[in-house]
Amino acid sequence: MMTDRRSFLRGALAAGVAGAVAGPSAAGAASPARATEAATRPFHGEHQAGILERTRRRTVVVSFDATAAGRSELTELFRTLTDRARALTGGGAPGDTGIAAPPADSGVLGPDVPGAGLLVTVGVGASLFDDRYGLAGRRPPGLTQMPMFPNDALESAWCHGDLSLQLSADDDDTVVHALRDVARHTRGAMQVRWRMNGFSSPPRPSGTPRNLMGFKDGISNPDVADPRAMSRLVWAAPGTTGKGRNAPEPAWTAGGSYLVIRLIRMLVEFWDRVGLDEQEQMFGRSRDTGAPLDGNHELDEPRYAADPIGKVIPLTSHIRLSNPRTPQTADSRILRRGFNYDRGVDAVGDLDMGLIFTCYQQDVARQFETVQHRLKDEPLTDYIRPFGGGYFFALPGVRDSTDFFARALLS
Amino acid sequence: MTKVSMRAPAVVAGAALLLVAAGDLARPAPRASSAAPAIEAGASGCGTGRPPLRLGPQALPMRNDGDTAADVTLIDPATGGVYAEAEGVGPGTTRTLRITLGPGAYAFHCVQDGPGDPVTGPVTRITGSGRGAAAIVPVSENDLYAPTRSYQAYVAAGLDRLVERTDALRSAVDDGDLDAARAAWTPAHLAYERLGAAYGTFGDFDGSIDGRTEGLPGGVHDPGFTGFHRVEYGLWHGESASSLARVTDRLARDVRALRSDFPNERIDPADLPLRAHEILENTLQFQLTGEADQGSGTTLRTSEANLEGTRELVDVLRPLLRPRYPGLAGVDAGMDRMAALLRGRSSVDRLSQADRERLNGTVGELLERLASIATICAPRRRSQGSGG
Repeated sequence: MMTDRRSFLRGALAAGVAGAVAGPSAAGAASPARATEAATRPFHGEHQAGILERTRRRTVVVSFDATAAGRSELTELFRTLTDRARALTGGGAPGDTGIAAPPADSGVLGPDVPGAGLLVTVGVGASLFDDRYGLAGRRPPGLTQMPMFPNDALESAWCHGDLSLQLSADDDDTVVHALRDVARHTRGAMQVRWRMNGFSSPPRPSGTPRNLMGFKDGISNPDVADPRAMSRLVWAAPGTTGKGRNAPEPAWTAGGSYLVIRLIRMLVEFWDRVGLDEQEQMFGRSRDTGAPLDGNHELDEPRYAADPIGKVIPLTSHIRLSNPRTPQTADSRILRRGFNYDRGVDAVGDLDMGLIFTCYQQDVARQFETVQHRLKDEPLTDYIRPFGGGYFFALPGVRDSTDFFARALLS
Repeated sequence: MTKVSMRAPAVVAGAALLLVAAGDLARPAPRASSAAPAIEAGASGCGTGRPPLRLGPQALPMRNDGDTAADVTLIDPATGGVYAEAEGVGPGTTRTLRITLGPGAYAFHCVQDGPGDPVTGPVTRITGSGRGAAAIVPVSENDLYAPTRSYQAYVAAGLDRLVERTDALRSAVDDGDLDAARAAWTPAHLAYERLGAAYGTFGDFDGSIDGRTEGLPGGVHDPGFTGFHRVEYGLWHGESASSLARVTDRLARDVRALRSDFPNERIDPADLPLRAHEILENTLQFQLTGEADQGSGTTLRTSEANLEGTRELVDVLRPLLRPRYPGLAGVDAGMDRMAALLRGRSSVDRLSQADRERLNGTVGELLERLASIATICAPRRRSQGSGG
């Protein structure tokens, strides 16, 4: 039973895998644009895609519960995820199985799947390290269940999960195609717990994209082109102990990063009824330009030292609390990768939309939680409602064609 | 379940097709042939032209330059096994066959509508290494007759049991004993749900015996709402025995009418392979969601009954599947796993989230496997000289 089941995950639809793996070189040759896009981010590497890369226009963030029946099925799940991620990001014609099965591919992207710019990021949650798969001793000490913060209204159906998967691309159909493909190949081993689709806006009119409160969001991210900053702030540091912990980061985490996902509803109707000055004071930035209230351009550095009592940029403003820009707080910076979400309507007819906040960091306690603590009861909390999300560890990258997601964790 | 027939069988038997072609139907005028390179699948040849077959995934444009439709298959010339097919390629049109080829021998086989003989093209040998699609020896409509007869016997026996149990349900309601009626409802309903595959031949009976409220403007109060679920609603929502008597009486009559009608109906053999996954598609959609429940909280027992019907289908098709479907053991394992998860369960509401996810995932994966039975066992004509 086990053997056969494994052969399904990697075999029953396997011509699709094989075909797509064989496909990219031919497909790439036929399409220079595609080849260029693919060359910017090969699937194999020390780190996963979707962390440092340019934010794509569309995304889906999905949390799964593992239903695999044991360690070996779980390993097959990660192998299958790897096969699919490799094939989907590489693109090419999905190899068909003739009359042996229904079509291997949904056809949503046409007969030749363009890999162009699909980013796949896989993470694991603390619950995967319970007693089901014998992984309890391998949990990274900093990976815990996301707690309820003071201003949270968490709903359990929208929280946590054994695995996280984020699929991002510049087009909706690319994201949908990838999600259907992954779900089809992994049904027996994991089930969707929650998911949220998101989008990132184009620059309006320039610079950092705006969130649904109308403000530019994510201006002061650390520089992803600076490897030293990334190794200090983003990538896990095996062998070291994180803030408030004694156990060191296990070796298998090398190349990975802690991921915090927060689903935050924005009460946009209420927000739209707030005067502009008050809005700007809450953020600490100009809505039009994104500039700090003591500056002229979005990239201007706020000069808090020159404004100790917060006359220009209030002490309670979002940017001042989240990043005080002092030497003491420099190591609490996070790499934000947010998306907007927009779905449905609530019981009183208000629109349900907001932010899929995601951030990457080396140490959740030292970074996200420290920032979150500083933001407690900030004025902005009246206009938002964090209701879901979770803590995950984004796995190390897949190094080569024989490697697979979580190999170092599982072996 | 109410889906009378989810879809018509995709394949028309060879004999019927020839009759149509020989009749007075106007033939469509051929379209102007495209000049792009293609493989001939018509009057001027079968399998000639470009591109040549090669190892790996490929798209093969099949052009029919004849003046009637053509069925084209890519076969293993030694066994007649089919790798890929394009049915009913219209005159003057080009259809693309997508297939991944491993090392082996390949030939195109073309069957032009009309009196002409089928043609098998030149054999291409591909060497090298790699995995390709498997050649599957076609299942003919003839091959499906014996499984269909077995299934028909299963249904007939099931109908006897259904009539008995529905009568018991009616008696309990007539006696005014609603506790006994509630106890009798579930076994009677399950007797129906076990029949699974025969929906195509039950016609309107299925709607009156086991319909849900879709399409009924009045919902559960709609006069068109009849059958097991209507009775269920009444039994679990405090309806009086006298009011329910009319409904159970109608149900018992409909069930008897179905039994007497059934011997005159014929299960289309081409339906059988389709039902292999369609029964459980409905289970996933209506039972595992809890949607079909009208108060009894037994949708997981219904699922178990549906699984029994599916098992019976797989069993009658087993002789055809064994040499054709390497994933058959996985189907059996999936059915066992599903059965184990359902054992002793009744209502989805009582499942923990983890159990529910495990069940959904197991059924979802099983469906992926069962779907291949429909494509593998769809009735096909055989190329000349093929064994089997």
